[in-house]
Amino acid sequence: MHQTMPVRLGPAEETLIAQLESVGASAEADRMTVAGLPTRRVESYHYTDLKTLLKTVPPLAKVANEASAPALRVAGAYQLMIANGVVQAASTAPAGVIVGKAAGGVLTSRDDVLVHLNGALAKESLTLTLESSVDPVIQIDRRIEGEAAHAADAVKIFVADNGSAVILETFSGSDAAHVGNHATYLAVGKNAVVTHITVDLSSKATNHFASNEYSLAEGAKLRTVTIHAGAGLSRSQVFARFTGEGAHGDFTGLNLVEDGQHNDITIDIRHGVAHTTSQEMYKQIARGRSKAVFQGKIVVERDAQKVDAKMMMQGLMLSDEAEILSKPELEIYADDVVCGHGSTCGELDEDSMFYLMSRGIPKAEAETMLVRGFIEEVLDPIEDEALNEALTGIVDGWLQGK
Amino acid sequence: MTTPILEIRNLHARIEDREILKGVNLIIPPGEVHAVMGRNGSGKSTLSYVLAGKEDYEITEGEVLLDGENLLEMDPAERAAAGLFLAFQYPIEIPGVATMTFLKAAMNAQRKARGEAEMSTPDFMRAVKSAGTELNVDTDMLKRPLNVGFSGGEKKRAEVLQMALLQPKMCILDETDSGLDIDALQVVSKGVNPLRAANRSMLVITHYQRLLNHIVPDVVHVFSDGRIVESGDKDLALQLEAKGYADFDGAAA
Repeated sequence: MHQTMPVRLGPAEETLIAQLESVGASAEADRMTVAGLPTRRVESYHYTDLKTLLKTVPPLAKVANEASAPALRVAGAYQLMIANGVVQAASTAPAGVIVGKAAGGVLTSRDDVLVHLNGALAKESLTLTLESSVDPVIQIDRRIEGEAAHAADAVKIFVADNGSAVILETFSGSDAAHVGNHATYLAVGKNAVVTHITVDLSSKATNHFASNEYSLAEGAKLRTVTIHAGAGLSRSQVFARFTGEGAHGDFTGLNLVEDGQHNDITIDIRHGVAHTTSQEMYKQIARGRSKAVFQGKIVVERDAQKVDAKMMMQGLMLSDEAEILSKPELEIYADDVVCGHGSTCGELDEDSMFYLMSRGIPKAEAETMLVRGFIEEVLDPIEDEALNEALTGIVDGWLQGK
Repeated sequence: MTTPILEIRNLHARIEDREILKGVNLIIPPGEVHAVMGRNGSGKSTLSYVLAGKEDYEITEGEVLLDGENLLEMDPAERAAAGLFLAFQYPIEIPGVATMTFLKAAMNAQRKARGEAEMSTPDFMRAVKSAGTELNVDTDMLKRPLNVGFSGGEKKRAEVLQMALLQPKMCILDETDSGLDIDALQVVSKGVNPLRAANRSMLVITHYQRLLNHIVPDVVHVFSDGRIVESGDKDLALQLEAKGYADFDGAAA
């Protein structure tokens, strides 16, 4: 007979249980009581043991009454804001964009603690319907302001058939020990072309969790870019499902990790139908005493023949105390597919450094050039000049230790 | 007396426990082109790396002055700003860094180190274009990542282009002829020869005399077992070609 071992609950879990009960999510509260936060014994949290890493959880967020400066300004972008879980009033939307609000969370249910918590705690979601091709970059500025707070927010985006859009989400807020639990659901219509970029720029004191779910219809083209350049503890989850033939996804990201940080990008890409393709390219750079984690899983379902998927993780260690972890997984049930994965890790090449310096380029600048070269593949495909420049600026700022 | 551009005194260098340079003495006055010839493994390339400041080598004795300044106290970037240039035998491929971006960064870094103003983009483009024409380097090549996918000849031409742009006092050409066919060798030499000037010296490292027909040296040195064993005029190179190195270093060829 299976016997459930009682789990010893810590202060973070006690707070979470009380918070779940306070919003009437008793099923989730019970689940937390029985299972607690995931430890390294839970396969998908093996490298990011939340029970150890998340010591305390602050009170649930109240309405924000002040806002810090925008974390990132992109010239010409249409800006939307969610502060402390509350969708803020927006200015007139550009042509083809319908902005709305809905109650509750946005993610499909799955066995994941962050997804459960978001579903229970997100009171409302920002909804965006993109009816055609949208010219300006859409920026969703998601913040947690004021005293340390636990905030859950949600965004649901539909891109109509044949539409196109570039959507940027930035995460930031006041310098406090927040816990942010963010969810985005993005459905890409038939033959639609979408770029979705998420950038964590929150303060080091913050714990940042984001779950992004994607659905790709026939002929859809999606590019995702996940950038971590902020929170001390972060985990971004990318769950994508191909539902129509001929769809293609480029899943990419930059995990920038410095002293004292633990940042995790976990992706789960499901090819549910035949003739779909994906390329996963993630780069991790770690310096100081830090930990960068990438878990990449590609699943090809039984009927999904002729799938072509290639996953790559490249790590760059800028210090001896840094740790870069990489776990690529392929789960293939179809028999006529081309799937591959690779993972490399190294330091800056000494010969390259010497070559650049021998031309008069000082050490720090030479390092920056090589690191920029290393991540170029991820940022280069972003065609909007102002956006590309803004993202390059984030990376440069990180490199210069800002 | 004019200060030599390069003055090497009793230079000893080792890599781990192995001594490779065993007392090099060399003086190159302004405007002169000196050739260093020697068999493989004699330490010629080590000399070029040590002068440029590669970290792998430990200098155990001696000193090197560049135009009177102590070279060994500078890091590689400072040496470059002080006027030293090494044309690599095997230029390094650097993916993700566009050649043009690199050239501009190098030029401006050196100007900044010397307290000069940065070059404007139009001035820079003009300089690159005029230097490139001489060497058959078109702008398409400069848009590509640095040395990535360049042929052997393209890499060497790109090295000489950098030399022309950076206008160093002291050029070291490390086996610039290796991997080049006759035509490519002529193009490269045509790029190098106009750079000969009264205030610029060159050290041409090679183990074939062939290159020296194109870049004619004022002085030829024979390098063997980590030091210079013989010096003479350009005819010394011809003698070497005819007799081999054995006559000069006592070892069987």
